[in-house]
Amino acid sequence: MEAVLRQFLDPHIQLSNEEMSAMVARMEVRHFPRRTMLIREGEQEKYLSLVAKGLLRKFFYKGKQEVITQLAGEGALISSSVSFFAGNPSQYYIETLEPVTLFSLSREALEDLYAKSHKMQRMGRLIITELYLDKERWEQHHICYDVKTRFMKFIHQHPDLLKRVPQKYLASYLNIKPETFSRLKHHLKPKPEVLV
Amino acid sequence: MTQAKSQKHNGEVWDLLHDFLRRFMPVSDSEFQAWKPYFELRTFDKKQVVTALGEQEEYVNIVARGMARKYVKLNNGEVTMQIAPEGHMIHAECSFHHREPAALVVETIEPTIFISIHYDNLQRLYDAFPRTEQLGRLFVTEMFIIKDRRYFELLKKSTREIFLDYMSAHPHMLQRVPQKYLASYLNIKPETFSRLKHLLRRKKVS
Repeated sequence: MEAVLRQFLDPHIQLSNEEMSAMVARMEVRHFPRRTMLIREGEQEKYLSLVAKGLLRKFFYKGKQEVITQLAGEGALISSSVSFFAGNPSQYYIETLEPVTLFSLSREALEDLYAKSHKMQRMGRLIITELYLDKERWEQHHICYDVKTRFMKFIHQHPDLLKRVPQKYLASYLNIKPETFSRLKHHLKPKPEVLV
Repeated sequence: MTQAKSQKHNGEVWDLLHDFLRRFMPVSDSEFQAWKPYFELRTFDKKQVVTALGEQEEYVNIVARGMARKYVKLNNGEVTMQIAPEGHMIHAECSFHHREPAALVVETIEPTIFISIHYDNLQRLYDAFPRTEQLGRLFVTEMFIIKDRRYFELLKKSTREIFLDYMSAHPHMLQRVPQKYLASYLNIKPETFSRLKHLLRRKKVS
């Protein structure tokens, strides 16, 4: 677990061995089979989780239509985060798409870690800042790039997800109509060198 | 402005910062006095560029007076991503935190006074006063929640709902902000925005 945690934290902050042990001691390892709903709309999010293995999706319903806002693979954080941080009922659903292993911190455990050390506060600040910047970048991306560019950039950055995620979910996540998505995928085939 | 008036004016602005920080956690007068020298006041005319495209963002700004917006330039125009009136924070976030050129523009709408903290001063403040670290975390958490809520609502609501909910939450914005900026911010076509405005007038009468 420590190696996975270090890989996630290193770009943000260097923790001492003691700080790392304190964190590991408070983390829960949770396993779920595929197609498990971890949280539904109206429920309270108890955990902030790091994906150690597997893949999940986060979505909400617009009428009867699902709108996917996150696809989280290994090394990503997954949580109904506003519910987790603000304590309100979740507006999102989170479902596993593959068998999943999560390293999870409860709100209580996180608060205890913050209370213990100033450096943990800093870690919290830097990680939440990244979550915030992710959203900022996501919006800029949607404004600045057309459908085709968004598709190409995504496939280039996450070539594995094209195989792992059902196509309709990818289309929903990229805010592309399913028909358009199929058409764009065909464009990919004759020129596989685009991916390299 | 006379010096006495200007000092009173500045005093009010600093009170606003103290109130702003107290939204996140208790901040005593002595604590505030110790932190205050790390901040500065910056004054801009209306429609003045605060952070230019490609420039590195050096500041976090809180609007003390006036109003500013943040927008992305496209080949065929621009898209407004944020409109910040008094008490709101605005800057080029990615550029500030990752120390990279800004991909967007921060510009005032009205004559504006910002309470600003420079990147270097913010790092010094965090190092010198450990309690500010917690404040910083709570502040960023709130920004994150606000941003999440905005995207959620833009994706979930109909255009009509987006328009009516925004106007009832921010009734003064229609007078203060050029309509094209509001339409862009709410992701509504200018023609549709004008049409929806009639709806507002009818509603007021009834």
